[in-house]
Amino acid sequence: MAVPKRKQSRANTRARRSQWKAEVPTLVKTVENGKVTYSLPHRAKVVTDSQGTELYLEYKGRKVADA
Amino acid sequence: MPKPTKGPRLGGGPAHERLLLANLAASLFTHKSIQTTEAKAKRLRPLAERLITFAKRGDLHARRRVLATIKDKSVVHELFTQIAPLVADREGGYTRIVKTGFRKGDNAPMAVIELVLEPVTPKVKKAKPAAASAPVEEPAEETEAAAAPAEAELQEDVAAEVAEEEAAAEANEAAEAEVDAEDATVEPAAEDAER
Repeated sequence: MAVPKRKQSRANTRARRSQWKAEVPTLVKTVENGKVTYSLPHRAKVVTDSQGTELYLEYKGRKVADA
Repeated sequence: MPKPTKGPRLGGGPAHERLLLANLAASLFTHKSIQTTEAKAKRLRPLAERLITFAKRGDLHARRRVLATIKDKSVVHELFTQIAPLVADREGGYTRIVKTGFRKGDNAPMAVIELVLEPVTPKVKKAKPAAASAPVEEPAEETEAAAAPAEAELQEDVAAEVAEEEAAAEANEAAEAEVDAEDATVEPAAEDAER
């Protein structure tokens, strides 16, 4: 089995990790009850009651699954 | 015909993929709606719809071809006797995939795949001419420029433009008249104040 001859320097490790980038998700803007919300496109949304309890998932006016 | 699948098989190999998809199809026909990963749902869709097509044919040969995929006879019986009549009027598109977010353990994108068992509501094809004729008639009524409904659209457009210009001109005149009237009222008031 191949074994590293030298310890990798802290600079090399950090230079490699500096290339890790977070991607910006593409969101769609919708207006619900006069409030502007941003959400992922083509994805079922969670329906909550007035207390904020999650009830079920909904997509295009159709119940999809339980939350 | 379903599009051939590209890329690596699901599971550990071709046989494993066949078994996975067969089990997923059996679960789908038993429960009518199952939650799985997006990749598996997308692979399952063509297989499940093909099996439903066999079920709609309904003869013994079709039943044996379905049994070659789904080994459970009770599931196949339910598919042929209960699901097939419900989708008899539907010309394909027997399943629906809805994306539902990401799994907690490995962040895999999940989806719900379900059978579309609602009765078919056929799309009305004559909606387009009706929708096109309705807006044409409305402007004619608004302009009331004696535009006969038999006139060409271009003429109606011209008439509409002329009517709009006239309306704008009238509005301007009215506004000027109002301004004059205001001036007239303001000046005597100012004179009163001076006195």
